[in-house]
Amino acid sequence: MVTLTSYLILSAAMFIIGATGVLVRRNAIIVFMSIELMLNSVNLTLVAFSAFLGDSTGQALVFFVMTVAAAEAAVGLAIVIALFRRKQTVNLDEINILKW
Amino acid sequence: MMLTSILESIATFVPETVLVATFCVTLVSGLIARRKPAVPAALAFVGMLVTLWAVLQQAGTDRTIFSGLLAVDPFAVFFKGIVTVTTLFILLFSYFSTEVQTSVRRLAEYYALITAMALGMFLMAGANNMLMMVLGMELTSLSSYILAGFTKEASDSSEASLKYIIYGALSSGLMLYGISILFGLTGTLGFADLNHAIANAVPNYFALLVATILIIAGFGYKISAVPFHFWTPDVYEGAPVTITAFLSVASKAAGFAMLMRFFKVVFIDTSVLALPAGMWASLYGFEWNKLLAVLSVLTMTLGNLVAVWQNNLKRLLAYSSIAHAGYMLMGIVVLSDKGLAAVLLYFIVYLFMNLGAFYVVMLVADRTGSEDIDSYKGLGYRAPLLGVAMAIFLVSLTGLPPTAGFIGKLYLFAALLDARWIWLAIVGAINSVISLYYYARVFRNMFLRDPEGQATPVSIGRAQTVLLLVLLVPTLLFGLYFSPLVDLANASLVMVGVR
Amino acid sequence: MTLESILFIVFAAVGLASALLLVTRRNPIISALYLILNFFALAGLYLTLHAQFIAVIQILVYAGAIMVLFVFVIMLLNLRDERSLREGLSWKKVFAAGVSFGLLMEVIYILMTSASGMTELLPAKATEIGTVEAIGSRLFTRFLFPFEVTSVLLTAAIVGAILLAKKKLD
Repeated sequence: MVTLTSYLILSAAMFIIGATGVLVRRNAIIVFMSIELMLNSVNLTLVAFSAFLGDSTGQALVFFVMTVAAAEAAVGLAIVIALFRRKQTVNLDEINILKW
Repeated sequence: MMLTSILESIATFVPETVLVATFCVTLVSGLIARRKPAVPAALAFVGMLVTLWAVLQQAGTDRTIFSGLLAVDPFAVFFKGIVTVTTLFILLFSYFSTEVQTSVRRLAEYYALITAMALGMFLMAGANNMLMMVLGMELTSLSSYILAGFTKEASDSSEASLKYIIYGALSSGLMLYGISILFGLTGTLGFADLNHAIANAVPNYFALLVATILIIAGFGYKISAVPFHFWTPDVYEGAPVTITAFLSVASKAAGFAMLMRFFKVVFIDTSVLALPAGMWASLYGFEWNKLLAVLSVLTMTLGNLVAVWQNNLKRLLAYSSIAHAGYMLMGIVVLSDKGLAAVLLYFIVYLFMNLGAFYVVMLVADRTGSEDIDSYKGLGYRAPLLGVAMAIFLVSLTGLPPTAGFIGKLYLFAALLDARWIWLAIVGAINSVISLYYYARVFRNMFLRDPEGQATPVSIGRAQTVLLLVLLVPTLLFGLYFSPLVDLANASLVMVGVR
Repeated sequence: MTLESILFIVFAAVGLASALLLVTRRNPIISALYLILNFFALAGLYLTLHAQFIAVIQILVYAGAIMVLFVFVIMLLNLRDERSLREGLSWKKVFAAGVSFGLLMEVIYILMTSASGMTELLPAKATEIGTVEAIGSRLFTRFLFPFEVTSVLLTAAIVGAILLAKKKLD
């Protein structure tokens, strides 16, 4: 029997793998892909809760998360392209001339 | 049924409608009047004036629209007013800024995105549902990512923008995850329903705590509170100064509005009656305010300590604005109407003094080509008005009388002492003393140091002087005559659905 | 073992493995391919939850549109032979990974203790809410307003993306 908890644990694991990717990887494109992974596990949580609660609100929210993900990806990749033109790199360590 | 309620809602949705129209018209005007950048600027300005008028028409309304998704109450109207006034100032700054006029790639889109950002902040101020919170935040953030990376030459600008979007996407991911957990625990997204659901069924305390911390990550990013502040100095330094000023005032105000409404409406315990007037309790003693207290201490301490080492004035003001977010968080920690009123009051004051400081930085940078603290040497003699104005804005940011900043701080600390948060008040006071040190450094350079090289006088035009006075006069006036502001802040505390 | 459990285990394993491979691969194009695999695994999981429409949208929007954008950008920048593919391992990264692992354990513990109460998935009910009709009526009545707001969001994003990425304007 597959319970709600199994879905939630799976999505928590994927979320944290994604968050680790954002923090650890230095390649900007892989960082953006890790963010997509995080947003996808949010969607999995929402769909799982929605199915188990018997309420379609969660699945409607998934649409908005997808829209946000698409918009963020488009703008993020555009910034990566703009930066690559100037610096010929997408490595976050190399472009970090603005220090903490 | 649904249709009538939507049509009815639209009648109370005029300011936002005007903003959407301004956004579209400004965008299209850039395609038609290709060589006349003044056209979109004028259209955006007129649009914002109409918006201001529409916002003022909403004064006194207290209801929700679009089936409870958006609140139109005095609290939302107050913050919409703050955002609109800031936007108007930013449009004027942009018109006068050499940096913006020469280096921004497409001015029509620049003005259009500023109005889109204002729309996002309006939605944040009125968000009465977690979905609207997310959409408002995303609209604001996306527009600001673009605006921060918009300039032609400076490669700093797109680096800052990349840093901005990575941190922004990370924290909005964390916030969305928190929202999904909270949705699972309660089965609802609306603030008032969340309150009922949490009050009726005792939830799992740890799950609630984790969801709240994740949601705070999103808020913390918008108001640049400390563990989520990394983007602030770089974006403030890399972005055009007009956008920096916009982010430091309007975006922060909208973030605070959303944070205050979320915590007050979702976690208020309406069954506890044995409290002094104007105080409220949190459900099950769920002490989210302690979380915010820790955040507040970290934020102001780090902001002030790091500001001491900064030599770039934009960066210095960035850290100073981080510190101010810490001060304002203190007002939310105390769980009292007095505290919230103090935050609202502080925002009115902060609008004038912070925009003023950034305006002087902009004028000086346009004329000397430098934002470095050394380029301010002898400014008090090269441009007496600019020097004196900057000194007043800095005194006000420190919170010393007779300026408006003093009144803001006075009410914040009074609310803290009233609610017996003595230790937090002491930390706040120590921080204000630290901040005096780095503000005084700028002051010393302006008046007590001789300029390096030849001392070229810095002159500004008549229109720019008028705008400077418009910011300067309230900063001084509100320090002496502040009772209308206090009344306004107290009247604006009304949130829909909360007594 | 019911068919349902077997499907869950297969999709969950594929999802987790592809997620791990995505964040550990050096070459972005390989990461992108694993991300697409991950999206398909998620679509499968949505089907086990009787959310048919979301499953279809997942493939169409994510795998079909967003990932094409990613792959396109990677190809455009030609990162295959780029020196920035090198990434060292530092104590900072080990620390970050450790913290994340601790956080995961904590979240799992909390979820194990919190999500009691609703352990029963009612297939008939779940199928009913997962249809295009159910979601559509939700989106176009109660959530009509946010739905319209996304149009402004997307317009701003499109305008911004073009402005930022375009080499020469005018």
